[in-house]
Amino acid sequence: MTVEVRPLGDKCNIKCRYCYQEGIRTAGNVPTRYDLDAIIATLDKLAEPFSLFGGEIMLTRRSDLERLMQLGFDRYGGVGMQTNGTLIEERDIELFRKYHVRIGISIDGPGPLNDARWAGNLPATRRATARIEAAIETLCREGMPPNVIVTLNRMNAAPDRLNVLCAWIGFLGGIGVRKLRLHLLEQDETEAGEGLALTAQENLVALRRLKRFEQELPSVQFDIFAEMAAMLGGDDAQTSCVFHACDPYATRAVVGVESDGRLGNCGRTNKDGVTHMRAGREAFERQLSLYRTPQADGGCQGCRFFLACKGNCPGTAIGGDWRMRSIDCPVWFGLFEDIETELLANGETAISRSERRSDLEAKMIAAWSIGDNPTLHSLIKQAGTP
Amino acid sequence: MTAALLTCSLTWPRPPLAATPREADIAKAAAQRISFSGPQTRALWQPRLERLGEVALAIELEMVRRKRIPAAVLWTGHDGIGALTERARSIGLDAKPIKASLGYAADWPLEASIDDPKRLLDYAFLIGAAPLDASIAEPAADGLEQAAIRFGYPPCCAKSWADYLRQGGSDPLARLLARGHKTAVPAYVALAVLGLGPIRHGPCAADCSATRDQSRAFLNLGRELGFAEEMSWLDEIADWPVVASLVNGIAEVTTAAFRCTWLSDEDTSPRHGTAATRPAKRVGAAAATVKSADSADILTELGVGFEAAGFENPFAMRSRFSTVVWEQTAALRRAASAVHVGCGDGLLLELISQTKPRLRLYGTEQDAAAAGASRRRLGASLPVLSGPSIEALAALSRLAPDGIDLAFVDPERLDCREALAAVRAIARSVIVIGTDRSLHRHKDMDTLAVTMGLALLPGRAGRVSAALSAPSGRPH
Repeated sequence: MTVEVRPLGDKCNIKCRYCYQEGIRTAGNVPTRYDLDAIIATLDKLAEPFSLFGGEIMLTRRSDLERLMQLGFDRYGGVGMQTNGTLIEERDIELFRKYHVRIGISIDGPGPLNDARWAGNLPATRRATARIEAAIETLCREGMPPNVIVTLNRMNAAPDRLNVLCAWIGFLGGIGVRKLRLHLLEQDETEAGEGLALTAQENLVALRRLKRFEQELPSVQFDIFAEMAAMLGGDDAQTSCVFHACDPYATRAVVGVESDGRLGNCGRTNKDGVTHMRAGREAFERQLSLYRTPQADGGCQGCRFFLACKGNCPGTAIGGDWRMRSIDCPVWFGLFEDIETELLANGETAISRSERRSDLEAKMIAAWSIGDNPTLHSLIKQAGTP
Repeated sequence: MTAALLTCSLTWPRPPLAATPREADIAKAAAQRISFSGPQTRALWQPRLERLGEVALAIELEMVRRKRIPAAVLWTGHDGIGALTERARSIGLDAKPIKASLGYAADWPLEASIDDPKRLLDYAFLIGAAPLDASIAEPAADGLEQAAIRFGYPPCCAKSWADYLRQGGSDPLARLLARGHKTAVPAYVALAVLGLGPIRHGPCAADCSATRDQSRAFLNLGRELGFAEEMSWLDEIADWPVVASLVNGIAEVTTAAFRCTWLSDEDTSPRHGTAATRPAKRVGAAAATVKSADSADILTELGVGFEAAGFENPFAMRSRFSTVVWEQTAALRRAASAVHVGCGDGLLLELISQTKPRLRLYGTEQDAAAAGASRRRLGASLPVLSGPSIEALAALSRLAPDGIDLAFVDPERLDCREALAAVRAIARSVIVIGTDRSLHRHKDMDTLAVTMGLALLPGRAGRVSAALSAPSGRPH
């Protein structure tokens, strides 16, 4: 579980066109103030390591931010922070060092490759991008290389730009960045991500290119491919939330601590502009439904990758309706096929091709039916080798 | 109401019920899946909904006691059975178990074990006047309609519900939320799923007038029993705008106060469901930028001439210049003019102009091709002076007779020893830039400065740029 502290909710200083929080901001549902004591009281109750998140976390008053950093450092030896990097200043570097802040920065590429992360007009966007690039280089030079999140879109991963993106990632590796997370652009109903979304085929081409490129990089790791291989191997202990059975009413992977200390969900499924609070009970209607719904109707019936994929993130569901499978299904399916082929060629097992797959699926469905969500690993262990 | 009774829930709809519903207890499932839209709405409505649950139970049992319906069906966990039967007995009714179902794992008592499965089960009890015949709640298929009428269904709803049960359905709302159903479902119908009233039966249609009459009867009985305030809450809920849908067998109801969901029946109607309502997004600016960026040569835009400028690749040059601007933010804020001596393709000047658009900027560049690239990048309004450094700086001093506030310079790129002196003569402050070439050779800005015989301002050395101190600074 990731605990995300969000003092200012979805408030952000830039307005990335593809941001999944834009619906909340458009609806005006962003807090203007926060209750730090209430936030800390909730963190006390949760007693879990946490990350500083947003919106843009660096909009938080520095003294309050430092208090949260210190809390994380004192209790857990450090704290995570996800930022767009545009508001990092010289004085912040020392705070990051002092409180062992693990920085994650979102950027889609240098200069024009980052234009989808819009800051109001083109000069402001380029200025913001330059500040992000500066923050990454500075953090690397200070021995605190950030993790980087890159969202693939038409500005950075269209066929004629993909080589540039790869070369830039190689540069990042050269200055010290070690982990890079690749995201697919969250498509919405407005003209396919306002013209920014790649087609499924383009996404697949880009990810395959990046997967090959990962082999050439001495030090940078894209976590997504290793996670997919792990899921097919039945090892879901360390994989990220998109491959787990997410309940959008009570997201297990992400618990938000909001401006007034209340608990929130991961905001990816907030399509109607409202940050709903966590439901009293976690349940798995989505997975139960996807398993039995034909693929033509937005389900996953008969898909051999269901145990590994589970319909993927409900925030990326077809039509913005969490009850459907991910709109990125063709991309994930293609990659799972590639990785499955590699695993089998290497003499390893893949649950998608296991004789025990239907038995494992039945056990998982039975567990979800009573509101339980066991790990795939535990089911395989019970059942013996897949 | 005893505390123990709160652990039980009234079924919705009333019997007859499906033999194998997807949710054994829809009302409980939907109630546990309520997700409030904010803390204020939760603070207001959570206790109200809990209270309405208690009141609905009281009203339903009163209807049994008055023999308006033959029985009520309640679900409870193993630990609630004693209190439930005692409560029934206290009002002269009997309680009889009719079925059991594996409950939700989250509701299992901590000390429960698979070796003692009875504590993992939820139990349905029929509450009615003795002697109780369990078959009244689950009659044979040919008696469903009559059973429904006995349990208070209006005839139109009884027939509809019996037909639906015979087709294998289990959730009355599934029919109303199905894609093919055209009539909007009002809140008091959609939220009947919570089991709170005022609709206690499965309605045949969203606008069924007999159902509306039944609803009024429930409210009237509630008021007669002293629950006036609670019935006013139900009146309020009845007027809420509501969005309700059924997609792939999952029902969802969204109001301004909360949303809830539950496993319903499959929708057998042919077309796809309506997606969630989403606010409109901005579209205009986005399309414009996609076009402009696509029309440019991306590598030129990123930066050319990186090797001559002392960098390993265009990304390093852009990143470094961005970092120089970032490090010198305060100096740039104070300045009114700046020059980049040896400006290459003008990238640093472009980044500076994006940070401080009103700054008067100048460039000098010895290489004619690079100077041309710089002019193309920066436009005609920003002077780029070409030619050897000394000549270009002399031209600059004529162009800016009052001097320049800031000069950015890579000392290794100056073509003669006198050039730095000329820079210092024209600029009130000189910022030395560390390139890949110079930093690989000298490791850091301090060593770079010492090696080149430059003195940096004390305490002002950045990671990739530094200000020269005023009094000295001659080339090595």
